[in-house]
Amino acid sequence: MKHDKTFKFITIGIIWLWLAIFAVAPNGLVFLTSLLQQGDNELVRLQLTLNSYFDLFNTSYLKIFLHSLGLAGCCTLVCIIVGYPFAFIIARSTSRYKGFLLFLVIIPFWTSSLIRSYAIVAMLKTKGILNSLLLSLGLIDQPLHLLYSSTAVMIGLVYSLLPFMILPLYANIEKLDMRLIDAARDLGANKRTVLLKIILPLTWPGIIAGSMLVFLPAMSMFYIPDLLGGAKSVLLGNLIQNQFLTARNWPMGSAVSVMLTLLMGLMLMLYWHSTKRNKDAQDLL
Amino acid sequence: MNRLTRIAYLAVVYLFFYFPIGVLIVYSFNNASYSLLWHGFTLNWYKELLSDTDLQSVAWHSLSVGILAATIATMLGTLTAVSLYRYRFKGKKLLHGMIFVMIVSPDIVMAISLLILFSTLKAPLGFWTLLLSHVTFCMPFVAVTVYSRIAGLDKNIFEAAKDLGASDFTILLRVIIPLLWPAILAGWLLSFTLSLDDVIISFFVTGPDFDILPLKIFSMVKLGVKPEINALCSVMFALTLLIVLIAQLVLRKKQ
Amino acid sequence: MIVKKPLKNFILAIGWVISCCSPLYAAEQVINIFNWSGYMPDDVLMQFQAETGIKVNYSTYDNNETLYAKLKASPQVGYDIIVPSTYFIDRMRHQNMLQPIDKSKLSNFKNLNPELLNKSFDPENRYSVPFLWSATAITLNTKYWPKGSVKGWNDFWQSQYKDQLLLVDDTREVFSMALISLGYSPNDTDPNHIKQAFEKLKQLMPNIKVFNAEGEKSIYIDEDVTLGMGWSGDIYLAQQENPALEYIFPKEGFIIALDSMAIPFNAKHVENAYKFINFILRADIAKKISMQTGYATANLAGVKLMPKEIRENPIIYPDESILARGHFQSDAGASSTIYEKYFQLLKIGG
Repeated sequence: MKHDKTFKFITIGIIWLWLAIFAVAPNGLVFLTSLLQQGDNELVRLQLTLNSYFDLFNTSYLKIFLHSLGLAGCCTLVCIIVGYPFAFIIARSTSRYKGFLLFLVIIPFWTSSLIRSYAIVAMLKTKGILNSLLLSLGLIDQPLHLLYSSTAVMIGLVYSLLPFMILPLYANIEKLDMRLIDAARDLGANKRTVLLKIILPLTWPGIIAGSMLVFLPAMSMFYIPDLLGGAKSVLLGNLIQNQFLTARNWPMGSAVSVMLTLLMGLMLMLYWHSTKRNKDAQDLL
Repeated sequence: MNRLTRIAYLAVVYLFFYFPIGVLIVYSFNNASYSLLWHGFTLNWYKELLSDTDLQSVAWHSLSVGILAATIATMLGTLTAVSLYRYRFKGKKLLHGMIFVMIVSPDIVMAISLLILFSTLKAPLGFWTLLLSHVTFCMPFVAVTVYSRIAGLDKNIFEAAKDLGASDFTILLRVIIPLLWPAILAGWLLSFTLSLDDVIISFFVTGPDFDILPLKIFSMVKLGVKPEINALCSVMFALTLLIVLIAQLVLRKKQ
Repeated sequence: MIVKKPLKNFILAIGWVISCCSPLYAAEQVINIFNWSGYMPDDVLMQFQAETGIKVNYSTYDNNETLYAKLKASPQVGYDIIVPSTYFIDRMRHQNMLQPIDKSKLSNFKNLNPELLNKSFDPENRYSVPFLWSATAITLNTKYWPKGSVKGWNDFWQSQYKDQLLLVDDTREVFSMALISLGYSPNDTDPNHIKQAFEKLKQLMPNIKVFNAEGEKSIYIDEDVTLGMGWSGDIYLAQQENPALEYIFPKEGFIIALDSMAIPFNAKHVENAYKFINFILRADIAKKISMQTGYATANLAGVKLMPKEIRENPIIYPDESILARGHFQSDAGASSTIYEKYFQLLKIGG
């Protein structure tokens, strides 16, 4: 039918047009900007150069890059360590409250991390709730200066991002075929072997998916270090924000953004690889 | 792990999730502006919120952008999901990949890319740039939500409709949308909360005459901890809670 | 029709929302103000709104660079009033970013303190109207450190203050502090001197707990930081809440910042901007702003209305002998980018 062809054409056309204008073109412009030069009066000087990338590999920027990777990496690791058993317990639970337990994880997943970071500020202040609690319990006799440190940023990031680790892990673990574990047990595998050889490899895609959802935003959420962090806890997000909105060095900010995009590409490749390998493994069984 | 340690473990993590928020809500009823001691129950801070006209106009901005962005994103996202499911076309795999990449791509990358786009186009930052940006970052989430449902539909339904002479447009309106209604609504609600809560992208793409709630909260929060902000955050939290509840009910009904 | 009734209603509702919120349909009687955070009490804005019927869109920034970057990033952005510091007025007027001010429209201009007019950053005040001024000096919490134990900027480098300092999140203020401590002018444009200041600040990093501008008041009140730089108005207000705070004008000298109202070149509501400036210049309004923000007003008529204890408060209006050690800031010209680059490097850990 002719109408249907036009309809199909228009639908797909609209989608591609939208994505071309608001997703492809902007990213192309970011890449282009990263190759330009910072201007004094105007925003950028139209002159191709690799200066921003050279500057990026200057020791200080490299240091912040690594520091940022480290902080986000630690946050991801903590989320895995805390989130994995948590997701496992819920996913394997036979309790009739299972749905409700999961619902309790979904609420923080949907709520604003800005508001939740603010709650953490109120907790960690020198005169905040945590210190009042610890002081009144007699556990400490001097208030802890927790706010404005990397520890505070870590707490804020984990608090905001933990649900993003738990939910993909939950989805993955729930699909896990328990018979495999039983089979391994029957064949004489001990708990450790079952965990390392069966459970972890099969839930690997969940771990990678969760890590991606935690690691990338952790680098990006500039307001968490802004609110909780001190002079020594800057993340890539803050770096980009400062380059754009304070230092007016758009090429540099774009270059950092390009690096972040590359990092994302790397993680995506890892993810696709892991799901593929997993599928192969399952097909074998 | 035995049962007790499992329960204890869950309890500790839930405590971590809910204690700070709970304290925030409790203190929003505290009758003292700075002290952390309990000075009695009050609704003062909520009254103050109600009388703050500036805050109200900002909240109205947020709501209207949220509703509009969610609606447009839902339309686009649903179309995308349906096209991906029904049609064969060039670049289908690419589109699939792009939707996925847009979901995982860090907000700040999208934020500055849109800022550079608007700055190149010399578009004044404000309502329109904000709306377009919100639609763009919500759309992939709707596409994925709807796609996950549509994949479970029986393809024969479409064939049957087609054999009866329905056009694609009619099938979309009369068959697909009614069948996918819960997923579409869930996508809409997800977009709405995403738009309502977004700080990073809005921070870069809105202008002076169109301030929105998360940015207002951000600038207030930077000034320090205050009971009015506790009240405001509690209201926002309650609102999101309501939306999650609705979404859950809708999705459950479907199942 | 195939379009079902609920769907139709839904579309109608959307149309209604669009027409309500789109700024295209909004009343023209508005003014967009971009000001320092903590520089304007809410009730002054409300009074202006009530008296003139002009709706105020108010947003804030916490350093000049942010203001400047925002205006550069999208020049069409419609701010009608901005409040840059001296050196940024200088830079912006040279780059044609400001409109000349027609003083015949400002009947209250005469209220201003003549000593703050006609300065080199803007001769004859062609582009700017002085608003508030402040000092940047040292804030010390005497609960943690003995009273009077810090006398000047150089004391910041003592190792006992590890992880204790707050530095204001402002490029030039931080570098001025370091330049003064090295014995240079805070307005130095010599790249070598700026580099030396950077090296010196790098040594200070272990002592710096946080760079913050907007939150300094509550940070000092809540004792999350016990020593550091502070702006006079914020610290005056903080002292009301936490009497343990001491404000010290460093012996080596300090910065006096004068912030002035200006109308950007692309302002869309110029008439409203004049109404606003003239409103702010009223003596009673100037008094209100100064009393509530804790910052010294450039409005002499307003100062005269204030109670004696405020007019003679050593933090807000320090006496002549102290003010003699103060420096006004001037534009660093081409060196601004050098300052900015080093400050960003410093903030990411040197």
